[in-house]
Amino acid sequence: MVESIVLSGVAIGCIYALIGVTYNVMFSASRVFSFTAGTLGMLGGVLGSLFIAQWGMPVVVGFLLALAAGALFGIVTEIVAVRPVLRSLDQHLYVLSTLALALMVQQFTAIEWGTESRPFPRLLDLERSAFDQQFWLPMAACIVAIIGLDLFHRHTLVGRAFLAIAEDTFAARALGLPERSLRMASFALAGAIGALAGFAGGEMLLAFFGNAPMLTFYGFVPVALGGMGNNRGAVVAGLLLGLFQQAANFLVGGIFASVAVFTVFILVLLARPEGLAGATLQRRV
Amino acid sequence: MPLTRRQALASAGAAALASGLAKPAIAANEPIRVGYLPALTGPSSSTGIGINRGIQLAVQEINAAGGINGRQLELITRDTQSEPTKAVNGAAELTHGEKVSVVFGPVNSGESLAVVPLLARAKVPQVHPCWVDTLTDPKKYPMCFRNAPTNQQIGAAANRYVVEVLKRKKVAVISDTTGYGTASVNAYVPMLKTMKADVVYQGNVDAANPDLRPELLRMQSAGAEAIMPWSVNAGFLSRIINTRGQMGWDVPIVGQTTLGSGQTKALLEKPEYWAKVYPNNFRPVCYAAGGKLTERTNEFLGRLKSAKIDMGDTLLWWIALGYDSPRLIAQAMKAVGTEPDKIVGYLNQLKGFPGVYGDISFTPDQHDGYPDEQVVMVEANSLKDGAFNLAPGYGA
Repeated sequence: MVESIVLSGVAIGCIYALIGVTYNVMFSASRVFSFTAGTLGMLGGVLGSLFIAQWGMPVVVGFLLALAAGALFGIVTEIVAVRPVLRSLDQHLYVLSTLALALMVQQFTAIEWGTESRPFPRLLDLERSAFDQQFWLPMAACIVAIIGLDLFHRHTLVGRAFLAIAEDTFAARALGLPERSLRMASFALAGAIGALAGFAGGEMLLAFFGNAPMLTFYGFVPVALGGMGNNRGAVVAGLLLGLFQQAANFLVGGIFASVAVFTVFILVLLARPEGLAGATLQRRV
Repeated sequence: MPLTRRQALASAGAAALASGLAKPAIAANEPIRVGYLPALTGPSSSTGIGINRGIQLAVQEINAAGGINGRQLELITRDTQSEPTKAVNGAAELTHGEKVSVVFGPVNSGESLAVVPLLARAKVPQVHPCWVDTLTDPKKYPMCFRNAPTNQQIGAAANRYVVEVLKRKKVAVISDTTGYGTASVNAYVPMLKTMKADVVYQGNVDAANPDLRPELLRMQSAGAEAIMPWSVNAGFLSRIINTRGQMGWDVPIVGQTTLGSGQTKALLEKPEYWAKVYPNNFRPVCYAAGGKLTERTNEFLGRLKSAKIDMGDTLLWWIALGYDSPRLIAQAMKAVGTEPDKIVGYLNQLKGFPGVYGDISFTPDQHDGYPDEQVVMVEANSLKDGAFNLAPGYGA
């Protein structure tokens, strides 16, 4: 039982963590919480199934196309739902605009793809085992994404520019950084990470339009617990969430597992509103 | 000569009187309009598309045989697009604009929940095949009839199979968190208990939950001898079947028709996991031992073949249900005409209408016409030409 909790808990936790990172990458560049993060995860699974299982593309091509589609959706999100509301950021209109876009895409997927779950192809031709690819693929995707992002931020010029924008948009713009292009690039990057989460977790989650709201909710928890914009915090909180959720599934089961997860979530936020790993933000008044 | 207002009114009155008098003569030949509200597009359209094939065949046959007392049957179709709001619009159009004599449909419960009260207010006779229990009520909706089983009958058949045929007394009942799922568990668990079965596990789980192993382990440790899932979500059902397979746990899974659907099959990790899975179905459209169908059904299959109706992508019971519905309505109209009250009066006395899908009977107090004993369980992995084998244990 413990083995089963750890295995599927860590795997699902990695998917939540990646969705959390998707939120963070978009947030860092724009100070906007885009609720399209879960939709990106859903699209990764649905498009992967469409490209590989339905259209018969090779796995690598299908994978790259799914990531590219995620990146494209990220850019569309920035143009359609984020840019028009940036000027009045304090009114939190982005909650409505990004949520509306997410719902539109989710409904469109339901109409075109169907409301039934459909199979996600087995990506590697390996025998099924206890430590199956459906568990270790999300873990591998999470590790690669986190290390990749870290290297990108620390060792490339564009990555440093991303950090500069995240740190202080006005100062970065004053230094001549192309803020708008960098913001679009970061939404594209977030789109690819979100799609990666859904693609790597495809076999567990199946290609199902209803994964979008589930990932949007559970992906938000690591962000809130790990501290906004803090990727390492999101990974730790995502893993804890996955493990706790699986343990609750075993111990109390059914709908009570979700109740347990959100009770703990609310208690933690009451005790530490800035998140487990987050620092209190100073605000100019 | 200028026309005065009085003359104009008088001539209009005369014209109205003349057309009123002439009407019965025209009506004797004009087609009988039957309203039809299928879901031909949208997420719940697979049922509607199957039913539609049967309906079209039946109407063609009725009209080719001379119609109803010399009048042709005309289907006035409004696609509900699987949406209750569109179904309501369609129903309003059929009753107020098109003035139909009877309505068949909608064919999905969600749409019927919205349409049934509306048609009751418009006093239009309605026949529908939707399962939700509250969709008939001879007091509230005296003109509404159901030519299909209720959810109660569906659950009772599964319960009977588990407790009486398979002789399993310790049962796990699981559903997703949808309205249908939770209502089913709440309705079927007390029924099981009155049959002296021990419900050792009862739970509602989010259909998007990727890992159902915890639930199945809990069932196993509680000593469950059969799993009864109630959900129309193929993803959820396939996860139950796959997890049972991975655990190597040899218990039957008995429940909703979707357990036997192509979507569920597509999600199975191994084809052999589909063994010992028994979804609901209907005895007249199932293969008995030796792959035999009843004579009535065999003759119907012959008609489908000669009409070149495709069966590969749908289910026989959907087509059969569609085929029976206009014939039931036509039989009533042939006997008593097209007046709403007379049609209702006839249906209230209907006894044993010999449908391909089932024998339908109504009384003034019972508008659920499908017989209990024709709701059965079948082997999920036995689908051939749209029909299944009866589950083991039913006997001949």
